[in-house]
Amino acid sequence: MNKKFKVILSILIVTLLVFVGYKAFLSPKGVEGAKAVTIRVINENEDVNKTFEYNTDHEFLLELLEEKQEELGITFEKYDFGTMVIGMLDYVADPNKQEYFHISINGEDALTGPGEIPLTDEDVYVFELKNY
Amino acid sequence: MKIRDIALIGILSATITAGKLALSFIPNVEIVTLLFIVYTIVFGYKKVLLVSLVFTTTEVFIYGFSTWFLVYYMIWPLLIIITESMKKKVKSEYGYATIGAIFGYSFGAFFAVVESFFYGVAYGWTYWVRGILFDLLHGTSNFIIILVLFKPIIDILTRLKKSYYRNKN
Repeated sequence: MNKKFKVILSILIVTLLVFVGYKAFLSPKGVEGAKAVTIRVINENEDVNKTFEYNTDHEFLLELLEEKQEELGITFEKYDFGTMVIGMLDYVADPNKQEYFHISINGEDALTGPGEIPLTDEDVYVFELKNY
Repeated sequence: MKIRDIALIGILSATITAGKLALSFIPNVEIVTLLFIVYTIVFGYKKVLLVSLVFTTTEVFIYGFSTWFLVYYMIWPLLIIITESMKKKVKSEYGYATIGAIFGYSFGAFFAVVESFFYGVAYGWTYWVRGILFDLLHGTSNFIIILVLFKPIIDILTRLKKSYYRNKN
């Protein structure tokens, strides 16, 4: 077998092993089973401060948002790096006014998008319209 | 610097931008690293440092300002300097493929360090962890691309360089 081909094959195998290791140990994991979670939407421009409570078996926030998209009036925008929430309760954040929906979990700022936020029992997820 | 050199810098910058745009539909698979390495070996680091300056400035015009452009102004010259300092010792494409791979694997970490200065260590850490799979793809694809294309491109460019500088009319 050609030497270069062997080397390429070896590095592909090592890459695959690292990929599997990352998925097993480093990537965020969802929690299986029933959970009671709260979603709160705050939009001071529209005088909105609403709370929604759900019982769900989903493991990640995005899955729940997709299921409740109509009820919560959500607008998503898909990017290479994941899905962003750009609208809640039929209000779409206006980038010309530097608006965006800030996500926090139990009062802590989210560091990832909803696709990587695991749902945990009794957690509160707040979507607040803010300016950057 | 002669007019011929200025024209060459423009052409090399354009090929890098075109090469990047051509592969932009595949996340983190690029030939920019390969081109900077081979250009440095064939044309020398002085011209290629200017090429990196033109390339990054063109990127800013295409994609707009953000913190990433600061990293671009540092990271490509760093690759050029590393290549220049290794070119007397490293002759095989395996050596350059390894340099390209390390460069790709550490690309996100470099960005994360700079992002940390603007948005805090927690953000930088999250940025790096979220991008590990992209870095993995970047490093591995760099290794394969350089291993396969390094020698043919060096041969072609060496011949083109000779004819480019021979016809001084």
